[in-house]
Amino acid sequence: MGTSDLDRQIQLLRNCEIITEAEVKELCYKAREILIEESNVQQVDAPVTICGDIHGQFYDLKELFKVGGECPDTNYLFMGDFVDRGYYSVETFLLLLALKVRYPDRITLIRGNHESRQITQVYGFYDECLRKYGSANVWRYCCEIFDYLSLAAIIGDKIFCVHGGLSPTITTVDQIRTIDRKQEVPHTGGMCDLLWSDPDNVETWGVSPRGAGYLFGSQVVQSFLQTNGLDMIARAHQLVMEGYKRMFDDRIVTVWSAPNYCYRCGNVAAILEFDEHLAQDFKIFEAASQENRGVPSKRPAPDYFL
Amino acid sequence: MMNPEMSENSLYPIAVLLDELKHDDLALRLNAIRRLSTIAQALGPERTRNELIPFLDEAAEDEDEILLAIAEELGNFVDNVGGPEYATVLLHPLGNLASVEETVVREKAVASLNHIGTVLSPAQLESDFIPLLKRLHSAEWFTNRASAAGLFAVAYARVNPALQAEMRQAYGQLCQDPTPMVRRVAAARLSEFVRQLQPEFLIEAAVPYFNCLSVDDQDSVRLLTVEPLVTISSALTTEQVGEFLLAAFRALAVDKSWRVRYMVADKFVELTRVMAPHVAKEEVVAMFVSFLKDGEAEVRTIICSQIPGFCELVGREDVLEKIYPHLKELVSDPAQPVRSAFATHVSGLAPLFEKEATHQYLLPLFLRLLKDDFSEVRLNIISRLDKVNAVIGIELLSDQLLPAIMELAEDKQWRVRLAIIEYIPLLAKQLGVAFFDEQLTHLCMSWLGDRVFSIREAATRNLKNLTDVFGAEWAKGTIIPKILGLANHPNYLYRMTTIFALTTIVPSVTPEVIRASILPAIESLVTDDIPNIRFNVAKSIEALAPVLQRDPELRPLVPAQIVPALTTLTQDPDQDVRYYAQRALQTVQNPVS
Repeated sequence: MGTSDLDRQIQLLRNCEIITEAEVKELCYKAREILIEESNVQQVDAPVTICGDIHGQFYDLKELFKVGGECPDTNYLFMGDFVDRGYYSVETFLLLLALKVRYPDRITLIRGNHESRQITQVYGFYDECLRKYGSANVWRYCCEIFDYLSLAAIIGDKIFCVHGGLSPTITTVDQIRTIDRKQEVPHTGGMCDLLWSDPDNVETWGVSPRGAGYLFGSQVVQSFLQTNGLDMIARAHQLVMEGYKRMFDDRIVTVWSAPNYCYRCGNVAAILEFDEHLAQDFKIFEAASQENRGVPSKRPAPDYFL
Repeated sequence: MMNPEMSENSLYPIAVLLDELKHDDLALRLNAIRRLSTIAQALGPERTRNELIPFLDEAAEDEDEILLAIAEELGNFVDNVGGPEYATVLLHPLGNLASVEETVVREKAVASLNHIGTVLSPAQLESDFIPLLKRLHSAEWFTNRASAAGLFAVAYARVNPALQAEMRQAYGQLCQDPTPMVRRVAAARLSEFVRQLQPEFLIEAAVPYFNCLSVDDQDSVRLLTVEPLVTISSALTTEQVGEFLLAAFRALAVDKSWRVRYMVADKFVELTRVMAPHVAKEEVVAMFVSFLKDGEAEVRTIICSQIPGFCELVGREDVLEKIYPHLKELVSDPAQPVRSAFATHVSGLAPLFEKEATHQYLLPLFLRLLKDDFSEVRLNIISRLDKVNAVIGIELLSDQLLPAIMELAEDKQWRVRLAIIEYIPLLAKQLGVAFFDEQLTHLCMSWLGDRVFSIREAATRNLKNLTDVFGAEWAKGTIIPKILGLANHPNYLYRMTTIFALTTIVPSVTPEVIRASILPAIESLVTDDIPNIRFNVAKSIEALAPVLQRDPELRPLVPAQIVPALTTLTQDPDQDVRYYAQRALQTVQNPVS
């Protein structure tokens, strides 16, 4: 697959059109070659703009690029949950993946709890693949790629980025580096917690109402940062009505990038720009207006596919 | 929905397709149906008629998805069965599809039958099409009768008078059908049937159909009679309209269902035109005002689209006296969609109001709407200011609106800022350099440093447009120094704006400016720390090269400066920089002459 082929596919996907199953297969093959070289904790250079959950809201992702700048001009780090719930998980994930293959140094993708076989079968990505391609092959190719996504990233040696949060079994970044990440997200353990945990006003650790991961408090954050010589944690995973939320004396920030989540929550979205000196700037944006949004097919998925 | 790989035509052998028509896998069957034409062409007309059509005729038990595809394909099958003289063989399978449960299948079958009906001869219509119509019309199950209603118009004009009389009577029965779904189709199809009726039957047939449907107890039927009301009224003489239709018009306008009122409001200008000779101006104005004050926001929203047209019919004096007081209220309507629609259409009043009244009555409304809480409302008013501009002139407009525009230029919604930027070149043309520099240049420059990428991008395009208006000298003295200033911004995204802006204005400035200011600035970024800047330098040079090569003064700069700069970049540690530098180098060294 040459650069011009890839550029053509990116162009298609930017228009919210899908590429063929054979093209997806080859794209995933290329993506795997790139991702396999990346560390569990990927080193990312500043400047970079970080983004939270997208959840298949393709037209809002386009809005995100309008506000933050197109890739490759602007560098991006997406902190997982590309798929499920929105109408366009296929186009969203394939666009991000195609950009990753075309510009591996300009965009970083890390894994969210929805990048999982189990979760996507419940929350829409599986059904969408079936509906748009008539078979589950595309879903299977994508799920294989999910297993290769990094679990976390560190920007300029100072900012730790992860989808969910911390784990009681992990005290150092090096411990994350020793995980064998090439597997379905487990139900317990360090890898699971990184993708599922939430910060909360608890002393140290608490039971998560999600049934996976933990609640972690300010002391946990403080000592993790100190042990590893870091300044801050950036994460996604939780809807924030204002788009972003700082906690624990700005030691941790939640970034949420799906405006009007599920097309009905009424929230705004945010991205966080780090410039080359790690200066932070939040950009807030709203859902794409009706005229900038394609109308989803009115016909529901035919019964025989379900 | 289908596998996109299967859209290449000729690849599948026909035998495989024939097999797939009977395949257990629905996706494969569907794919085969989508290529029925290919199969038919391979079989030839005779075998298509004798083998393929009977086969499809039996398919009526299949999944709706398949039936829909068959219904659609058969509509384009006339040539495949051997031309119009054989087209009647298609009627039977389509007739079956027109009687199934699923509405989308039936509608597609009716559409295809209509398509085929147009190529049938009068004799074929009488011998085959009308019997099919009768069969559907007299069937017990309502789906058949609903489909029948859609088949009258295509056949009526070309059959004998006796059959026509039968058809008119049959349509009347459908208008009184016990099932609302049938009456709904009868209402929806009424306009097209009425257009086929001879004038002498309008009173005898069309009016009774309409009168029956317009008082239906289902609002979903009544609301479909608004369009036929316009059609029938336009066909009748004014006296007849007054005698037969006026009462229905009055009734529909105050219908207890808002959905019916909505339909009337949507067509109010048209309806007013046909009813005008019979209704006092006061009465239509009162109706219009009642729509403006309707309890349902949907009705108030739709009537906004009729404001310019209706007010033109009424005339300025009456508008100001009787309508304007109510229009004014819409500015503070509690429903945002109403204000949004009002903002879209209110500027259409300016030509009617003319300069003085626009200034006195409309400008205050604009100013209020420009301050609306919802960005869409602000956006709608801004994007239509040019209409107002044409009426009252830029001076008055800028006097009154410039402060509001300045405020919106810093609106927190970036799409509002974008709308303002797009309005700027127009303002520039009208205001002239001196005034513009004083008021707006600063603003235009500040957009270059906007926090939103799309605004920075629009700002660079805007500067190019301004340069086209004010000339290269102005650009050199006013904007270029400011753009160059951004080249030292500590944030790479803003340094990138410098590159974009310089690249964009190049076609509009003099060679001297390119040589002395633009090139050095771009070259200085070749050694930028951030790869994104360096590969955009390469892209920029690629875009500049043709301009340089066209100018004899600048051409020497290509080998002297451009090529060495690009060569440096092709050695860059970053792969994206190397890629774009190599591409640019190729363009520079192999210019397309």
